[in-house]
Amino acid sequence: MNKLILYFVFSLIVFNVQAQNRFFTKDAKINFNSSTSVEDIVAESNQATTLIDIDKNEIAFSVLTTSFKFRRALMEEHFNENYMESVKFPKAKFNGKIISPIEWKSEKVVLVDVKGVLTMHGVSNEIILKAQIIPGKNKILAITEFKVIPEAFGISIPSAVRDKIAKEVTIKIDAAYTPYQP
Amino acid sequence: MKINSLKSVIILGLIVLFSNQVWSQDLDSLLDKEIKPQTIYAAATFKATRIVNGHSVEQMKKKQLDFRISHRFGDINSGSYNLYGLDNGLIHFSLEYGLTDWLEVGIGRSTYQKTFDGFAKVSILRQTSGAKNMPIHLTYLFSTEYISLNTDTLMKNAYSRMSYIHQILIARKFNESLSLQLTPTVIHRNLVPTELDKNDLLAIGLGGRYKLSKRIALNVEYYYVYRPNEKAISQSIPTPVKYYNPLSIGIDIETGGHVFQIMLTNSQAMREGGFIGKTTETWSNMGIHLGFNISRVFSFTK
Repeated sequence: MNKLILYFVFSLIVFNVQAQNRFFTKDAKINFNSSTSVEDIVAESNQATTLIDIDKNEIAFSVLTTSFKFRRALMEEHFNENYMESVKFPKAKFNGKIISPIEWKSEKVVLVDVKGVLTMHGVSNEIILKAQIIPGKNKILAITEFKVIPEAFGISIPSAVRDKIAKEVTIKIDAAYTPYQP
Repeated sequence: MKINSLKSVIILGLIVLFSNQVWSQDLDSLLDKEIKPQTIYAAATFKATRIVNGHSVEQMKKKQLDFRISHRFGDINSGSYNLYGLDNGLIHFSLEYGLTDWLEVGIGRSTYQKTFDGFAKVSILRQTSGAKNMPIHLTYLFSTEYISLNTDTLMKNAYSRMSYIHQILIARKFNESLSLQLTPTVIHRNLVPTELDKNDLLAIGLGGRYKLSKRIALNVEYYYVYRPNEKAISQSIPTPVKYYNPLSIGIDIETGGHVFQIMLTNSQAMREGGFIGKTTETWSNMGIHLGFNISRVFSFTK
């Protein structure tokens, strides 16, 4: 009996070490663009943290809104102060599941649908986005592009500047995952 | 034997349970564990680089240029003939540029005594929370003023027209709405009007802003000026002068790239040497001025 337990524990440890079912990066790039003909509004963060669980086909993203860098310092201040209210809502998050089939062992590009909940400015909305994934043994690459409407997340834009900011904000994400070591 | 095997089963069960827990830990909470606490800088302690007349701890970031135009109309108590001061005003304009995130330099020109000025503003400490905790902002300001008005016969040379201002700005953003600032000040004038006036003037500023909404804030600014010979100066012959401490109340309105400040103040001068050193009007007899500052920021970053 004792031997059995020992064997079980041992196998568990071995399984733990060998099974790379989670991939991780803390420097994924998120870029957003809400430019109009009157104003260039572009910002980028390369400090997004993200995990993929290839057993469950789950993806999670988290980024501090203060990590977005703008060309204009004043714009960055207004983004955090007036729109995202970064002191009250420091993080933007996404938790989702890949709902189309994906074969993690192949190293071919796959186009998948990811369904999940995007939370920012304290408001959660369900979204479905299209992502391109290149699986690999020691590296997974993922890119996506989608649009959000600021008002859907309770971000109010005063009418005086409404025409200067795009109605839909385009968000691009670029992540290179490596096996997760807790 | 029976007890022994029961024990084993319990242990096994516990292991399975425990390992299950490890496995079922969801990605979201794993992510939270991975994100290290960050240092958060208290941004926008004040909306503009001035509270009303005096400097705030805000300054231009690297490669940002601030073009400022300020205007103070005449005395409100000058009556309807002067349209309550609107007929005559003083203007000050300046260009202020962030060389780095912590160093800003500026040059300006004022109608008041045809004064040129130049300043350097150095951010020494910034208020932070999170991974690093710093309760206050600390900034050093050095400014020079040159009076070019040539009707003053006492000012014979360039040296006598200069004055130097040192300020330490200590501010704290208490919450999203309230920020307060304390500003110890030393002003050295190379030439003063009478021998009763000290060349070195000590003053302390008290400033605050309270946000009324996301884009509108109320500012109050007061400077206490230490003048040991105040009474003697006010009775001096032939030109008695009564100096007052400047008190200003303003509203900030922010619209995208502009900050518009509108204020009431008993000082018509807009630079430290003037509003701290030479304010001769007072709120008590409506010797106040309506005024505004406009700030437009240009970015030179790619």
